[in-house]
Amino acid sequence: MQTKELPLRRPVPFIASRLSSSGRHAISFFVPEAAISIANLEKSFPPARSGWRSFLQPFEKPSVVALDRISFEVRPGEALALLGANGAGKSTLLRILATLLLPTGGRAKIAGYDAVLDPRAVRRQLGYHAGSDIGFYPRLTGRENLRFFGRLNHLSNANAALRIAHLAQQFRLEEALDRQVRTLSSGTVQRLSLARALLHEPRVLLLDEPTRSLDAIAASEFRRFLKSEVLRRGDTSLLFASHTLPEVEQLADRIAVIDAGRLLACDTLAALKRNTGTATLEDAFMHLTGRTPHLTLEDAPE
Amino acid sequence: MIRTLRELWIFFWRDLSIARTYRTLFVLEAVEALFGVAMFFYAARFVDSPQLASSLPQGGSYFAFSLIGFVFLDYLNAAMDTFDQSLAEARDSGTLEHLLVTQTSLPVILAGSAIYPFVSTTLRIAVYLTWGALLFGFPLHDANWLAVAAVLLATLLAFSGLGILSASYVLLFKRGNPGKWFLLGVSSVAGGVLFPVSVLPDWLQFVAKLNPVTYALDAMRAALLGDAGLSAVWRPLLVLFLFAALLLPLSMAVFAWALRRTKTTGTLMHR
Repeated sequence: MQTKELPLRRPVPFIASRLSSSGRHAISFFVPEAAISIANLEKSFPPARSGWRSFLQPFEKPSVVALDRISFEVRPGEALALLGANGAGKSTLLRILATLLLPTGGRAKIAGYDAVLDPRAVRRQLGYHAGSDIGFYPRLTGRENLRFFGRLNHLSNANAALRIAHLAQQFRLEEALDRQVRTLSSGTVQRLSLARALLHEPRVLLLDEPTRSLDAIAASEFRRFLKSEVLRRGDTSLLFASHTLPEVEQLADRIAVIDAGRLLACDTLAALKRNTGTATLEDAFMHLTGRTPHLTLEDAPE
Repeated sequence: MIRTLRELWIFFWRDLSIARTYRTLFVLEAVEALFGVAMFFYAARFVDSPQLASSLPQGGSYFAFSLIGFVFLDYLNAAMDTFDQSLAEARDSGTLEHLLVTQTSLPVILAGSAIYPFVSTTLRIAVYLTWGALLFGFPLHDANWLAVAAVLLATLLAFSGLGILSASYVLLFKRGNPGKWFLLGVSSVAGGVLFPVSVLPDWLQFVAKLNPVTYALDAMRAALLGDAGLSAVWRPLLVLFLFAALLLPLSMAVFAWALRRTKTTGTLMHR
């Protein structure tokens, strides 16, 4: 029978027993639920088909491996970066957590809720940003779009208006709010999309390349906002995929390096560098993925 | 329940807000309706005869008969197009995945996306009939409006099931739905749209009996032209509600399966 686990903000009281030199003592302490828990997660896709064979694709067996038994946890208030080359499986992982894809095997939980068995409860906990500058109704204004998605996330009209005003100020969107989205630049739409992900104050934020279309200033402001307004409170966890190494270094408490669907390492920046014997994140990434041979001075051609 | 109604309203508000940005479209559609009604009026004048009038179910003019057939076929069109078009639009605009990660359930998203198109189609039908009544003598004074409303509701529910099945096909295969064209083609011949079903050969009359369009048009003509009350149209109404009772749960189950399939194959956002 499926047991329902408690949501994130209510830590689970846990009575543990342990042996000590003086005998057996009952100790009461709190074990907070992992914000994101992934265990042996697997995802395979059917091979891509073209022509008339594409009619068979929905019924084909999945054979192309995208994620290969990945396991890690994100703690409450923690920021974890997914680092990997294109096609490594980062977006697939985020989409499984966002309940947009079903895993082939393993388990993915958000705040204790299983993404496959209890997707509605999972969606209550998360904010999702797909990393693209589409996903809005172009003929509606920024405010109308945000209000629409806020209402679908069960915000009241008044609450939605307050949150929109607050986030517009944070993301410098005041002017964009009353313009049709089709007239906005892609960077502004991207900021609008980030505001949408944060609108209902989710406990878990899933961001797929969050600063892809932002200019350097906007990207920097966004990172500052995430650190100062979202992560500082300690009750929101962040899982984000990024190719921007300074962004990963600045935001992430830990970094998960993924390559060809496999988790190669998941640790702090310092530990990654220490374990790979490298000086920078880029070198550590290259070393772990084996993309370029790790050259030492002695190996270098004369 | 109240939350669901609020969610449905917010979808209607979205579509109304989008439609308001195309203001001239309302005027153009009203003008188009006028030309459509005029075409049926003059075509009917050409073919109308006492013999033809006596062979029509309500004994009325061919103009009234054909106009109702034509405008209510629009309802079937709307039902078949609404769900798969809103799905395709959401997919192409990238809003689909953002809708699917909200706390609103899939049936509400589907139903909500259909409200405005149905309201808009109903208004378009009203415009056609109003032009017909104002300029060409369409006998609106004979209508039983309670029965008309009941027939509209039953038609909407029965046709929605077909529309959701159509959307399931588009979700899975990403292409236009051949079943939709087949049904519209069959309905235009064996649905009693422009001529009574009684003129068809026996086997086509049998096909017409399996088609919800036949019952919807029979009931609508009786309610609009023959002042038939609920007691007079209960039989086609019952058939339409039975179609709805069968098709709606079936179509929702098929759609849920198709969605699950696309989430498994990763083709949800594919075009």
